[in-house]
Amino acid sequence: MADTPNPDWMNQWQALARQYANNWQNAAQSVPAASQAHSATPGFEQWSQLMARGPSSQGETIERLVGSAKSYAAYMQSLFATASANPQGSNLPWGNAFAQGFANPSTSSPLFEHPAARAWREMAAQGGPDFASFAASLQAPPTADLSELKTWLKLPTFGSSREQQEHYQKAAVAAVEYQEQMNRYNALMMKASQRGFELFEGKLAEREQPGRQVESLRALYDLWVDAAEEGYAEIALSIEFREVYGALVNAQMRVRSLSQHGIEHFCAEVGMPTRSEVNSIGERLQALRREVRARGDDSLAGEIAALREEFAAFKGKRKSAQRDAEAVERTPVAMPRKATVTGKRATKSKTEATKKVPVAAKADPSKKKATKQTAPTKRPRSATTKKAMRRNTAASAQAAAEAPTPGSRNFASRIAKFANASLGTSRARARQPEQRTKSRSAKAR
Amino acid sequence: MMGPIKIDPVRALEEALTTQRKLAAALQTLRNVDDVHFGVTDKEEVYREDKLVVYRFKGDKPPTAKVPILIVYALVNRPYMVDLQEDRSLVKNLLSRGEDVYLIDWGYPDRADRWLTLDDYINGYIARSVAAVAKRTGVKKINLLGICQGGAFSLCFAAMHPDKVKNLITMVTPVDFHTPENMLSSWTREMDVDLFVDTLGNVPADLMNQCYLMLKPIRLNQQKYIGLMDILDDKVELENFLRMEKWIFDSPDQAGEAFRQFIKDFYQGNKLVKGGLKIGTQEVHLGDITMPVLNVFAEQDHLVPPSASRVLGEHVGTKDYTQVAFRGGHIGIYVSGRAQREVPSAIHEWLAKRAS
Repeated sequence: MADTPNPDWMNQWQALARQYANNWQNAAQSVPAASQAHSATPGFEQWSQLMARGPSSQGETIERLVGSAKSYAAYMQSLFATASANPQGSNLPWGNAFAQGFANPSTSSPLFEHPAARAWREMAAQGGPDFASFAASLQAPPTADLSELKTWLKLPTFGSSREQQEHYQKAAVAAVEYQEQMNRYNALMMKASQRGFELFEGKLAEREQPGRQVESLRALYDLWVDAAEEGYAEIALSIEFREVYGALVNAQMRVRSLSQHGIEHFCAEVGMPTRSEVNSIGERLQALRREVRARGDDSLAGEIAALREEFAAFKGKRKSAQRDAEAVERTPVAMPRKATVTGKRATKSKTEATKKVPVAAKADPSKKKATKQTAPTKRPRSATTKKAMRRNTAASAQAAAEAPTPGSRNFASRIAKFANASLGTSRARARQPEQRTKSRSAKAR
Repeated sequence: MMGPIKIDPVRALEEALTTQRKLAAALQTLRNVDDVHFGVTDKEEVYREDKLVVYRFKGDKPPTAKVPILIVYALVNRPYMVDLQEDRSLVKNLLSRGEDVYLIDWGYPDRADRWLTLDDYINGYIARSVAAVAKRTGVKKINLLGICQGGAFSLCFAAMHPDKVKNLITMVTPVDFHTPENMLSSWTREMDVDLFVDTLGNVPADLMNQCYLMLKPIRLNQQKYIGLMDILDDKVELENFLRMEKWIFDSPDQAGEAFRQFIKDFYQGNKLVKGGLKIGTQEVHLGDITMPVLNVFAEQDHLVPPSASRVLGEHVGTKDYTQVAFRGGHIGIYVSGRAQREVPSAIHEWLAKRAS
């Protein structure tokens, strides 16, 4: 671009600008229900509507793309328009062109309506229709004297509906304060945009040297974005912004909170559960879960430690009991048949007991007593019952041997008593030689 | 003297018309593109509690590492960023180097989770996930890899339970929340977080997303989509874009109480470095972190500025501290081409040296 006015150049721009505008109009008319569009952006609206029809997995992306493209098209259009209207050649007011482009009322994202400010409005709308309509209904006109309005809203209330009226007044004051904070925030966004333009001009000035010049609309746009972001970052990191932002968030939360309060009041009147009540239940439930888990963890850890201790003691005593049993077995006194028979069976029974009986149960003295009592006191009537009784006796004998009580010392005598009671001494004596053999072979194994 | 703008009018018109054509094509292409998928590595569930699931990733070959890595991701985004796609996967790259990789998926909290505190998350969920992984792999201590907010949680966990963490790796983790470049932190300082949480309950994901987009409002809300028009004819690039887009907007709501405490104690109070941070009944001292620590941060991170991360070495109690500055941003550290080459190697090699 030359630095002197160039009428030919300007003519070309004007012609191209017209051609460009026509092209957008044609594009807009090429889709159904074309509007009476006079700018580039209505075409986007129609495309957007067209694309939104039918199923698409990328609906949100399309929406964002269309929004951005609208701004970008407006930007390009404004550059053409500015260039066409300005006879100063290279000294074109590019900054103004940008401002016009992004402030075009037909775009949804004009520059001065900073995306951050728009985001706040969207956030406000996330409270649902109740919040949105509530906030809108209480929103004062931009020209209103908000402090005067607030004074009126603080008048004392009277009568039976005094509390409710007070609530409405509070809500109205909160909405006015939110509006005040939003105005402060928007003013800062304006400041950020202005700072962005200053930086943009600086960046342009840096590109006056040959080889560094901006040669495309896109490059110019990218340069502007860099500058605008830098300008925004300066403001957004300032202490002033911190204070305004915090005040805006807090003001919006107060409006939401009062709005919720009103809804809760209504729900309570018609007997519906409220959010506060559900919250309360949730809080109690979570506290209970924590308590149960903490108790579970503590008691389990304690129980495991106690069991380990008992098990260690039990192991020591079992060895002692086994030594006693072996000593008795080695004595030349004739043993009751069944007592020795169980020596083999006892191995099996012991394994089963270890598998099936919880450690805690083994250590429980009441259980030991119960085990002892399983020994029959009457002679069994049938052969099958006798067999079962013999097994019981074997198990009882083993349990008695394992029991970490002083009774284990009398192991042999108790076994003898059980055997005599159930089988009779004479039969036991008759089978004694065979049993001894079994016992020895079992030992050898 | 030349002017700064040297736009050829004919080329400018051509550019405008090309943009117009691209846009028309873009809308048509986008309309017909299927939904994109993510999370490419095969995985199995090893532990589940409430909405939390711990997954173990399955590599092509059995892991050679004896000690597993448990990835603790942030609550504010979905964790599949670490396994986004075939050629952009931190998980896949760690597996191929022989690591045994597990990950906590926090799920999507709802109103039932509103009262979950940081204690519930750190001494509850993380502690039980660590125990489950340790039990499954037969080790007493595991390697913890905390990412972003998950990194801050991992620091707390490692400080309170040093007997359960063999090596600690933090990625893009904020430690000092009061550095001057930290825009998010600045914005939260004057917020009445009690009023905020009492009003909202759980913090909506959309609100969080808006907040992140406002860090760079024009670049993230506008310029990115203008750029999209340039890649529409490249199916792979378009899918990459859409996958990332999906991840950005696929954010869980934040459990109210945990959010309250995180903003108060970390963002506003900066207690992780200033002291006085209590998780449950226990006080957190970074000086209690005595196991080896690898701190990886991104030099162009706009969410967690490098200054917020790089101070970790000054506060931990370990003598074995390593830090890696990655040339990229908060997201690029997982998905950029350079990240695929540099980050998994750095982690694997650092762990290998401490494997004995």
